[in-house]
Amino acid sequence: MLYFTALMKGLFSPFLGTFLLIKMESSDSSDKGSIDQSEAQRQSQLDRLDREEAFYQFVNNLSEEDYRLMRDNNLLGTPGEITEEELLRRLHQVKEGPPQQNSDENRGAESAEDVSNGDSIIDWLNSVRQTGNTTRSGQRGNQSWRAVSRTNPNSGDFRFSLEINVNRNNGNTNPETENEPSVEPSNGEDLENSQSDSEIPRSESPSVRQPGSERSSAEELTAEEASPPRGQRRARSRSPEQRRTRARTDRSRSPINAVSEAPRRSHHNTSSQTLDHSSASEAEGSSRTRQHVTLRQHTVGTEVPSENAVLFSPPETRPAPQAAGSSETSGTSESTAPGQRPPTIVLDLQVRRVRPGEYRQRDSIANRTRSRSQTPNNTVTYESERGGFRRTFSRSERAGVRTYVSTIRIPIRRILNTGLSETTSVAIQTMLRQIMTGFGELSYFMYSDSDADPSGPAPSQNVETSEPQSGGGGASGNENADVSSGEVYEGGHEAGSTSGARREGRNMRGSVTFEESGSLPFLSLAQFFLLNEDDDDQPRGLTKEQIDNLAMRNFGESDALKTCSVCITEYTEGNKLRKLPCSHEYHVHCIDRWLSENSTCPICRRAVLASGNRESVV
Amino acid sequence: MQRASRLTKELSLLATEPPPGITCWQNGRLDDLRAQILGGVDTPYEKGIFNLEIIVPERYPFEPPKIRFLTPIYHPNIDSAGRICLDVLKLPPKGAWRPSLNISTLLTSIQLLMAEPNPDDPLMANISTEYKYNKQLFLLNAREWTEKYAGQMRVSKPLEEKIIQNKTSTCSESTVQKRKGVDISRKEKKSRPDS
Repeated sequence: MLYFTALMKGLFSPFLGTFLLIKMESSDSSDKGSIDQSEAQRQSQLDRLDREEAFYQFVNNLSEEDYRLMRDNNLLGTPGEITEEELLRRLHQVKEGPPQQNSDENRGAESAEDVSNGDSIIDWLNSVRQTGNTTRSGQRGNQSWRAVSRTNPNSGDFRFSLEINVNRNNGNTNPETENEPSVEPSNGEDLENSQSDSEIPRSESPSVRQPGSERSSAEELTAEEASPPRGQRRARSRSPEQRRTRARTDRSRSPINAVSEAPRRSHHNTSSQTLDHSSASEAEGSSRTRQHVTLRQHTVGTEVPSENAVLFSPPETRPAPQAAGSSETSGTSESTAPGQRPPTIVLDLQVRRVRPGEYRQRDSIANRTRSRSQTPNNTVTYESERGGFRRTFSRSERAGVRTYVSTIRIPIRRILNTGLSETTSVAIQTMLRQIMTGFGELSYFMYSDSDADPSGPAPSQNVETSEPQSGGGGASGNENADVSSGEVYEGGHEAGSTSGARREGRNMRGSVTFEESGSLPFLSLAQFFLLNEDDDDQPRGLTKEQIDNLAMRNFGESDALKTCSVCITEYTEGNKLRKLPCSHEYHVHCIDRWLSENSTCPICRRAVLASGNRESVV
Repeated sequence: MQRASRLTKELSLLATEPPPGITCWQNGRLDDLRAQILGGVDTPYEKGIFNLEIIVPERYPFEPPKIRFLTPIYHPNIDSAGRICLDVLKLPPKGAWRPSLNISTLLTSIQLLMAEPNPDDPLMANISTEYKYNKQLFLLNAREWTEKYAGQMRVSKPLEEKIIQNKTSTCSESTVQKRKGVDISRKEKKSRPDS
């Protein structure tokens, strides 16, 4: 009814004379036609208003920690859409902590599980944005896959993890036969076979697949859980990171046998070289993520001499990865059978709306892939650049484990201008399709790779080896460690580490004689898969930390300015207001949202942060 | 977001205290609005009534509403589909939208743009050139269009019908009309000394 009166009033404004009558007529007639509909509409709008009201009440009653917690987890939803009960439920859930949520989500996912043909992965991916949280698994030939996806409707964040197991021995359901590390040449062939043999559906041994896939989904969750206190972690990562990464390398190294040891040492020189480069990149003031990588590389360089000592250190030097929880255990149980596992590709992809300004890019897609096979130690990095697409690919091999790192930077400014909308999801789908295609080409890739090996002066590329697995058991432990650190999952970190990788690629270019062969395989077997916003003129928002650093207070009745200009609602007692440096004030939830994508005051358009300040704060 | 409550408030404000020469109302749904801007005095659009469509995005007010002219208008910064080249209609950094603006201010800005075109940031290159280098011709054309599409004489026809008519005609007709307009005006110019 409210709207109706508004309409009428509008119509009677003086200067429209005859026009108005006509307008009234037409609106009347249309109203008669759809009276029920408009009635329903009005009702739904009223409901919406009620919910909005409740939302604001809820937000205002939250303590600051709770508010932050919910905002950082994107649990606040949309006012008017989310009910208070739902908010409350979410708050409790997030407070109860990750494990609870893990199991909850997993259970939910499990129920949605659905076994279908492997060919439908792509179809499924196409629909994944709509369906929200799902888990699927299926198999094709002797590849079995299991995918978990979760979509956050509020932020548009999208997480996807996929694990693919390839059983090398065709038709043989017994995992035991895969025990002995198979000889390298046969490996590629087998994969080839497995690919071509897709007609024969073959039951994957659950003992292998299940824990793995569960872990991947758990990983995902842990990573997400771990993300809120990002600021602290980031800060920490400056110095303690070094220790941590060292520990990680130690850990990964401990189970290594001498075979993998020797080449590593021979790589020493180069790795210290790369250290120089990366520290140079650090000096450029680029994101801290790069530092992350840098440190890791650093570790490689410095640790090598003392490697022997580390090598023989007992397994318990493996520190329990923080926050990994149950996922770790499943990981280790997996790792008990180093060579027994069929090649497994774990792919973890996160599409996240990176707060502009928080990182160098607006959006990032990252995924991690690991494939295992028996091949000699080797690391190669390629880089290609064409038509705005910058691709980096690096591969390392160690004691039967291959790690692929691939970076793709694509400017997607236009997409992003409209927010994370359908177009973006199309882009994502394309990405995913490419990845999936890549899996299809796994066999080809590996095959051609081993062909190409001799020509690649591999020893120089030790870069990624520090992170990558050191063979069988250490490998999965390593994986978990990476995951549990939670950092790798963050857009910025991914970006940083990949840009680090890209640098590497550049450095290596001279030494790598590879031509840019078909870039699809590079693209496809991606460990890091990035979608970066390259353009500097993108609106840059503030990071959560920066927003949190702004002054906040409770509204008091005596205040002069009484209306939030974002929602044009008058403040009421107890409302939380945020005051920008220009001394304009808004509701916290109103301004936080604006500042997450923009960096100016909505009233006076002054930069909230002093220019130049941002880079150093980030 | 805060769309519903904010829009409700804005609409009631627009209804009670509309900016001069501007009317805005709901077109059935809350996020689909219609507006009318009265051509300003001393502009070639004088006496014209220009209909606009306002689509309010889900993320409003964090995103600007999408506003376009339904009535064809001869203007350097408004194209034949009614799209408007105006900074406040775009998000930063290119645009100047911010949540403290509202539909009322946007419509006022558009009204101002009508009165003072910005030929240096043209959407319609030829109209812009005309505006810059042959102002008389521009004024003539603009007046002609105003009379033809936004004239009060049309008021006798039901509005809805008119909008539909305009919609269908904007794309095809307007380009044709443009050329015609130029031709006619030239003829008129020649014949002017006589009159």
